[in-house]
Amino acid sequence: MKKSVTKFMMGVLFVMVAVTSCKKDDATTTVDTTNNGTFKVYTQGSITTVQNLPADTIVGTNPVTGQPVGAGKFKFFSLETGQLIENTDSATTKWDVAFRGTTILTNAGTSGPGAGGAFVQVGLFADVLSVSSDSAFRTDAAPTYAIRTGSNKGWYVYDGANNLITPIPGRVLMIRTASGKYAKLEITNYYKGGVTPASTASDAVKLSEQRYYNFRYTYQASGSMTF
Amino acid sequence: MILVNLTKYDNSVAIKKNSTLNFAVYNEMKKRCIHIFITLLTTQTVFSQKDTTFNNLNEVVVTATRTERKLGNSAVPVSVISEKTIKQAASLRLNDVLNEQAGLFLTTSFGTGVQMQGLNPDYTLILLNGEPFIGRTAGVLDLNRITVGNVQKIEIVKGPSSSLYGSEAMAGVINIITKQPISNNYSASLRYGTYNTFDASVSGAIKINKLLVQGFIDRYSTDGFTTRPNSVERTVAPLSRLTNQLQICYPFSNKTKLSIGARYSYENITNIIAVTNTGSVNYSEGKEIHSDLNISPILTHQFSKKVSSSLRLYHSRFKSTQDLNTTGTVAYNDLFIQQFYRAENQTDWTLNNKISLNIGGGYLSENVRSSRYDNENNDKKSSVAYGFIQGEYKAKDKLTFIGGFRYDKNEIYASAFSPKLAIHFQPIKKLSLNASIGRGFKAPDFRQLYLNFTNTAAGGYSVFGVLEAQAQINHLAQIGQIASYENDYYNLAALKPEFSTGINVGGKLSLSSQSFVSFNIFRNDIENLIDSRLVANYKSGAQIFSYLNVKNAYTEGIELNLGCKFYNNFTLTSGYQLLLTADKQQVSDIKSGLVYTKDATGIARKMDISEYYGLPNRSRHMANIKLLYEKNNYFYNLRAIYRSKWAVTDKDGNGVYNTNDEFAAGFVQLNFSAGKQFNNGLSMQAGCDNIFNYADANNLPNMIGRNFYITINYQFTKTKK
Repeated sequence: MKKSVTKFMMGVLFVMVAVTSCKKDDATTTVDTTNNGTFKVYTQGSITTVQNLPADTIVGTNPVTGQPVGAGKFKFFSLETGQLIENTDSATTKWDVAFRGTTILTNAGTSGPGAGGAFVQVGLFADVLSVSSDSAFRTDAAPTYAIRTGSNKGWYVYDGANNLITPIPGRVLMIRTASGKYAKLEITNYYKGGVTPASTASDAVKLSEQRYYNFRYTYQASGSMTF
Repeated sequence: MILVNLTKYDNSVAIKKNSTLNFAVYNEMKKRCIHIFITLLTTQTVFSQKDTTFNNLNEVVVTATRTERKLGNSAVPVSVISEKTIKQAASLRLNDVLNEQAGLFLTTSFGTGVQMQGLNPDYTLILLNGEPFIGRTAGVLDLNRITVGNVQKIEIVKGPSSSLYGSEAMAGVINIITKQPISNNYSASLRYGTYNTFDASVSGAIKINKLLVQGFIDRYSTDGFTTRPNSVERTVAPLSRLTNQLQICYPFSNKTKLSIGARYSYENITNIIAVTNTGSVNYSEGKEIHSDLNISPILTHQFSKKVSSSLRLYHSRFKSTQDLNTTGTVAYNDLFIQQFYRAENQTDWTLNNKISLNIGGGYLSENVRSSRYDNENNDKKSSVAYGFIQGEYKAKDKLTFIGGFRYDKNEIYASAFSPKLAIHFQPIKKLSLNASIGRGFKAPDFRQLYLNFTNTAAGGYSVFGVLEAQAQINHLAQIGQIASYENDYYNLAALKPEFSTGINVGGKLSLSSQSFVSFNIFRNDIENLIDSRLVANYKSGAQIFSYLNVKNAYTEGIELNLGCKFYNNFTLTSGYQLLLTADKQQVSDIKSGLVYTKDATGIARKMDISEYYGLPNRSRHMANIKLLYEKNNYFYNLRAIYRSKWAVTDKDGNGVYNTNDEFAAGFVQLNFSAGKQFNNGLSMQAGCDNIFNYADANNLPNMIGRNFYITINYQFTKTKK
């Protein structure tokens, strides 16, 4: 009898543990993943998702050329903490990646004092399970960056007919952080709300909605080269 | 038009040569001359004439073999659009006519081009009485330039025809055959329609002793059309077009005849462009003028019953100027002049009942000058010498073989050898079957060789033709402007012609004189396609492009046509084309798992081959249904044209067109017209095109909204003196 009570109690306990762990799982899956157009970072399992990171958004037009311009400032981000870093800390190793328009910096070389670097791997985020070798990483040497800018050269294509930037599917940015750890990163969209404007949208819409990075990444805090 | 040229001047822009020679139709000319002297017709308006093309296997066609052959005996797919069809549809320009044909897709960049069997407009040769039109922009010959006011018929040959016509006849040939001059026959026609569209034409022919002279003048003008009513810009610009045509025919004897065709057309397009910049609006005035001259004297001689020969000379000159003036800025001026000269002989020799031969050869010379080349005062030249032979062997009554080849030798690009073999088999009278295999080519055009264009208005990128690229880039490197070279820079090499191998297998079943069904299955394998590629980068970040033979593609499909007459007065015709296309490299990349697409959240996944949509700007399904009711001296017709969706933008950024990308919506266009003929030579016609008022400002800028028109035509014939 006692045994069965114990068994029963154990059973209840097990169920409770199970329920709690389920709850815990639920807690992670019930993170609000909707993209309402504002900057947001959330983590599910090993994957951290960043929405609407403003990367020098358009503030006006150049009075001489008439071309739209931003304020010219990079937006710095720490993959380790999942937080934005102040521009005043740009010369530190607090940040791992920085964004301005289509340009992405990593913290090394001409960009910063860290041990960073990057390269672009062709493949799916889920399929990239390890960093092939440390020698694959390049460091920034302005005006050439580890992640090359230009249509079809790094992470995006530019559709000149419709003035739209689209991340190339199947391009995983392999990042070495300022502290020499590894992360893989997939850019999902370059526009506010994670939705590329229709090709027929007005230029005004295309300009005001662009330069909002939406991406996800996995950061390996242990310094391991596998994910 | 100018706006498009300036802002979308990407790698493909500019201007190309039309370097083909051909010949054809001399028999047609001969026939005309004969015809004229033995007939005197009381005229009738065209649309009440008996339809000679409906299921008429005896219709004589000339384009397929460059000799007169009955349509029913043709071994290659040929279709004929009759004058009656053209008139009843009230078509004014060549694009109006081709728009209503199954399997022809009209493209909208750089004017209106025609895509045949899924090949771009660059690859269809367009002839006027057997001689090529020149003056293409970015490979497109604007079909709007060509009036169909005095057209007797249009023959369309599908499948590679370079074995007879040389360059450009890769997808096929469209031959516009103008009306046979009929002496002392005069006509005048006036049409007015929506958007203040006027078309007026007069034609007349006189006979002075043996000499027959026919003249035709057509003037077309429109206020243009816009899909954006609040904008000053017109999607179809206001323009006027004047075409003068003169045909002279003189028989020296029964055996020797001279005919001279001359045509001059002048086109004036204006476009006001408004550019809003930080709230202030700048207006630019664009003016585009095209002039087009064609002269073709043809001398034919019948040596004996078995041998006849013709000498054809041809000159064409196309001049285009584009000027864009914006207040307060430097004007943009663009000049393009292309001249084409050719001499050609073709000899037809009937050896016996079973074998006949056509042997020909010629020489052509072309020169082009353009402000988009190094210097607009420098002529760029190209010349080609060529020869061809075609033999026809009638193995049995029911079985005919046709084989031939042509060899084109050119100084600049590699020579081209174009063979063709065709079989015609008629097991029973009601059924004819044919199969053909042929090779087509298109020579690299002037733009791909000589372009030297830097678009300062759009970021300063440059496009260099292959013959210019090396020197230009070396020069830029010397003055320290080059930042880096791309892999394709090291691949720059002399351009080879683009080649296609086409197979067509088809047949026609005539159920009765009242109904028929026909089909044609086609496949075109295209090699060495020339495409622009990034070769180097300026230090400013701007890019430098040139041309390489890089792509291989295919197009395949099936075309079906049927026609039937019922209840005495009704005629129903219908056509359908299924088209599948692919870039071979892309197919192989997709199958190797190297191509990705993304889901709705932007997360990448592998793309499956089933998602692949092939080449952009092509409809998988195209169809038309036309219903005609004719009784006594009036008719009504209703024509519906359908195009399924086509890929326009690579939305997911993977470089290929797949189901995830952006498509232009499929649509149905419905046109109606009705006409009545009076006994005194007067006829009237009225109609409405695009009844549903279908519009797609982005993907169909050339499509005009619902428009009504009325036409009055008067014809009379002076009795013979």
